[in-house]
Amino acid sequence: MIERFIHHLRVELPAPGETVAGARIRLADKFPRTALRRMTHLGLLVGSALDGSMLEPEDAMVYASTYSETHALEDYLMSFPQPSPSLFQASIHPSGAQQVLIGRQQPIARLWPLAGQTRLLEQALLTVLVEPARRVALVGGEECGGWMIQYNMASPRSFAFAAVVTREAAGAAGRITFTPAMQADDACPSLEEFTQALAERGSLTWHGGGGLWRLEWS
Amino acid sequence: MPADQLSAGIEACDCLTPFGDAPATVAALLAGRRALELTPALGRDGGDPVPLALTGPMDETLPPRWVPGLRQLASGIPAAAWGSARAPVIVTSSNFGVGSLYAFIRSHDARHLAYGTPFKSVDLLRTEFDWGEHVHVFSHACVSAHLGLAHAARLLHADLADRVLVFSFDFISPFVAGGFHSLKILNALMPMPYAVRETGSIGLGDGAAFAVLTRKAASYRIASNSLYNEMFHFTGNRPDGSGFAACMASIATAAAARRVWIKGHGTGTLEAGRLEAEAIARRFPDAPLVSWKGSLGHTLGSCGLVELAVAVAALRAGRIPGTVGGAAPSFSDTVALAPFDSAGFDGAVLASNAFGGAHAALLLTHD
Repeated sequence: MIERFIHHLRVELPAPGETVAGARIRLADKFPRTALRRMTHLGLLVGSALDGSMLEPEDAMVYASTYSETHALEDYLMSFPQPSPSLFQASIHPSGAQQVLIGRQQPIARLWPLAGQTRLLEQALLTVLVEPARRVALVGGEECGGWMIQYNMASPRSFAFAAVVTREAAGAAGRITFTPAMQADDACPSLEEFTQALAERGSLTWHGGGGLWRLEWS
Repeated sequence: MPADQLSAGIEACDCLTPFGDAPATVAALLAGRRALELTPALGRDGGDPVPLALTGPMDETLPPRWVPGLRQLASGIPAAAWGSARAPVIVTSSNFGVGSLYAFIRSHDARHLAYGTPFKSVDLLRTEFDWGEHVHVFSHACVSAHLGLAHAARLLHADLADRVLVFSFDFISPFVAGGFHSLKILNALMPMPYAVRETGSIGLGDGAAFAVLTRKAASYRIASNSLYNEMFHFTGNRPDGSGFAACMASIATAAAARRVWIKGHGTGTLEAGRLEAEAIARRFPDAPLVSWKGSLGHTLGSCGLVELAVAVAALRAGRIPGTVGGAAPSFSDTVALAPFDSAGFDGAVLASNAFGGAHAALLLTHD
């Protein structure tokens, strides 16, 4: 069995309908004013979830988002035939995580941005398990999209989470375990279901990726 | 920080560029041919001419040109239960099928939407190539492919996989060319990697590649992977070059006992090119440094895997292409403008960089 322990944990579940402008007001005290103006909704939520986590240059981050910076993407597309350089830059995955880390001037050894959908959570957790850094920030989230929602190409809700995961059991709030066992895959919890479980300290169990996964709380 | 020293054998690899597969690409590079041609940045919508290396007309079609291109490439992948838990696939790209979103905005034809997002384009690949659900997707701009290779080695060494298929693609669209042009790093000049000149420039190119990695013995191996993220600026590096130095220090330790040549990132930008060439020359003062982006253009998220396939094919051919498009004086005396024999070398360091000051390097070794 491979196990990792959850330490810093913070979840962002903003009120439905929160706009990026609303998030800028609500979260203004967490970011430098100069950075705040350019941050996307997802960047703000991720930054708030990471607030209070102390990362070092030897640490790593695993960042999961299926849709990434939807509004920047939508607005960039609308900026043609004079494409906007700032929206182009902001639309590129993993801009949400980079906005926060660049704002903090926080170098890290390795950043693993995942961008899939099917079994995304499981793949992010596998990436955490094989990462040798002493501390791994497991981060994920989505921002509620605009016109792309009607085509199922954007998240209908905004959310984000950040958990600092280590090998140290002492003082941990919870743990993630993976027990290798070949068995048929269950459905993998979605990123949003995982976020809800973190918020409620709810347990999760499923088979997938060649083993049994458990999320448990102290 | 130490590099991963998790050796993985390359069971198979190949690439697709405007020249064709990896052997054809090596032959063209050895002949000093450029795939880059001046092309309107927005395709049929016009725009300034910029250097692009394309496998077909840039304007998005139905299906997009990357679909038949990837079919052709994938025909060379050894058979396996790809996408199963023990034989996962890692897809890496910076842009996936995003050109189809631009095509949708332009034409209002909703059929383009089937290709436009990372998950839709990867789902299409899964269906097309009969892959299972275990398809990991990494997207970290121009170091994406390195992440796929490094993660594959970790899965193999943790005994979480028996073989891993790393598959990477990025095809240029007005979405991408327009974006780089708006950032003013894509202009009408052909790129001259590592050359001291007044104005820097890059070219962009279509590229796709795959590698099957295994724990088993293989003639070519990825012996080490090094990654580092500066997080200094979205589009700039720390002016002291410390990001390049950090990544190179780790891979130099892994390569200490070997005589290596270096394939740098070398897009043709001035500041990053100088910092990279200087950092490499400090760590590898006797190693020839080449870049192939003056011919192939920058194939973005796929460049690490495309250039790995080119490097392996070049080693098989016994000749390493020089820096096509480069010219003296260069930022470093170690820049090799002309091809050279691979005899006498027992390894190569292949490096890439990306937005956010992301750095990646791998050590390729061979018998």
